[in-house]
Amino acid sequence: MKPTAVLLLAGRSMARNPLRALLMMLGITIGIASLTALSTVGESTRRETMQQFKNMVGTYDIINIEPGTSATRGMPSLTTVPPTLKFEDATAIADQVDGITTVAEVQNAFDLDVKYRDKTTAVALYGISANWLEMHSYFIHSGNVLTDEDTSSLARVAVIGPDVQTALFPNEDPLGKQIRIGNVPFQVKGVLVTRGAGPGGSSLDSIVFIPVTTASKRLFNRDYLTTITVQLDDPLNPGPVADAVTAVLRERHGIVPPGEDDFTLSSPLAAAQQIADVDSTLTRVLTGVSVIATIIGGTVIMSLMLIAVSERQREIGVRRAVGATRRDILWQFLVEAATVSLLGGLVGTALGVAGGIFITLRQDMPPALLWTTIGWAVALSIGVGLVFGLQPAWKAAKTDPIDALRS
Amino acid sequence: MIEVKAIQKIYRRGDGTPVPALTDVSFSIADGEFVTIRGKSGSGKSSLMNILGCLDTPTAGSYLLAGEDVSGYDDQQRSHLRSRRVGFVFQSFNLLPRTTALENVEVPALYIEEPVDRDRARQLLQRVGLGERADHYVTELSGGEQQRVAIARALMNDPPLLLADEPTGNLDSAAGGSIMELLKELNRDGRTIVVVTHDEATASYADRELLIQDGRIASDRKRSGQPAREATAR
Repeated sequence: MKPTAVLLLAGRSMARNPLRALLMMLGITIGIASLTALSTVGESTRRETMQQFKNMVGTYDIINIEPGTSATRGMPSLTTVPPTLKFEDATAIADQVDGITTVAEVQNAFDLDVKYRDKTTAVALYGISANWLEMHSYFIHSGNVLTDEDTSSLARVAVIGPDVQTALFPNEDPLGKQIRIGNVPFQVKGVLVTRGAGPGGSSLDSIVFIPVTTASKRLFNRDYLTTITVQLDDPLNPGPVADAVTAVLRERHGIVPPGEDDFTLSSPLAAAQQIADVDSTLTRVLTGVSVIATIIGGTVIMSLMLIAVSERQREIGVRRAVGATRRDILWQFLVEAATVSLLGGLVGTALGVAGGIFITLRQDMPPALLWTTIGWAVALSIGVGLVFGLQPAWKAAKTDPIDALRS
Repeated sequence: MIEVKAIQKIYRRGDGTPVPALTDVSFSIADGEFVTIRGKSGSGKSSLMNILGCLDTPTAGSYLLAGEDVSGYDDQQRSHLRSRRVGFVFQSFNLLPRTTALENVEVPALYIEEPVDRDRARQLLQRVGLGERADHYVTELSGGEQQRVAIARALMNDPPLLLADEPTGNLDSAAGGSIMELLKELNRDGRTIVVVTHDEATASYADRELLIQDGRIASDRKRSGQPAREATAR
């Protein structure tokens, strides 16, 4: 039998018995609707959490490489890290690893005194490559950013956080003024936009940025880095880049597994995802209930189809007599079950998406419409129809036409 | 058209005891004949009809339909045979409820490769005198009209053989008579028709009658094919 004919028969059968079709759809509709709504709300919450995370950390499409083993954790600083990660390592990574947008070098230290005339404040000092600021969502409020030119010329220029401006320049414009870090003079080149509190609760604004080369050669006189940051082409897939970076560094540092690495990779993405993907117990319970509702919907389809097969013995007999094969009959009833289930699922998907968007909007979250969710809902409803329609369809197909016509 | 040689049909009861329904049945029916198979209930005529209509297979013996030995065919092969070679007309019409006359006529066309030819279905309804009622639901039709729809359905895939099982059994004598007249006309157009009945009046329309008793052919005789007017009214 032609596929169009099978669909036509399914459609006619539903039209002939709309109440039965409605009853068959009901369970699937409820189950799929709640699954879709849960998924929509869940995705919204996840994106919201990721966004909050990005606001807090500045970025998540990066991998940070820090010296030392994973046992020696904490914020890296020149005074605490082993001197194993070099500028040449950063260059090698940039040259040899595919899938990265940029590589940034960092030398940083905490609690360094910065002076302007008679005023002093303690800051976090970051020697950075010019691209680091944008990578971490630090934006200039006034003046200019650090440039590659500053880096290559070892310029004594600094970009300061708003807290530093408040502490050192309460009544004047800091741009162009000379500050002293240690005993080295730096010219203030720019002031950053306020960021607020970071992940640890400390201020991200009590901070001074200078070129990493200047930091290394003129301030600290150290040739090792505290962090190398690589930015990913594909932010959601850090795995291959992480592997390639590990391989490059092991080779350069002469490490052969199972020897322990003298560096540690970390990605805020992993942490962000971990936070975002933590489902609440409630979500899990609701998902379970929805799945059960869908399965109950399937058993309703099965029992109503079984009744229909008994009621339609004569129809089956006639169809067999005029030339329908067992397979034709099997398909007819299977497709009928799947079509009803699909219709129920489509109604459920529409209701669920609408409900999910309604809930997220009420909670002031951006609604997230996931096509994969809709795809899964449609596939699940067809699947439920096929699975639970199989036994009734099989029973119909096995019907002996002679008995069926005699009944 | 039909050649039956030494056919046996043996059913088995639940405990395995064999119950013979047909014993050594042999006959042949030529193209264009109008034959009745007459017998009491339990005589084996239904078993014979199921075999002739390819709904069932004989336990032994051979059945040639249009020169093709179909006695060993499996379920699927017999399904395909039924769709092309045999048109069925039943005692209780067996139309699909909550469905129009036209849709009923189209049903056999679903099970062949060609697309459903709606015009042909309409023409067939015209042919059986129901052109005006094609779009009526079958429940709105009288018994005689329903049987006409069933005959149109049997003709949908243009089978050379029409098998009718007690086609007048559920009809009053006037309606039954007109159904037999219709079959007679179709026979005149060249279609081979086999009617299974226990009823003498119905049998009188045929040119030839096979009488079946206790699973055997008891007689095979020519008939006039012209029912006496009294014979029609039971």
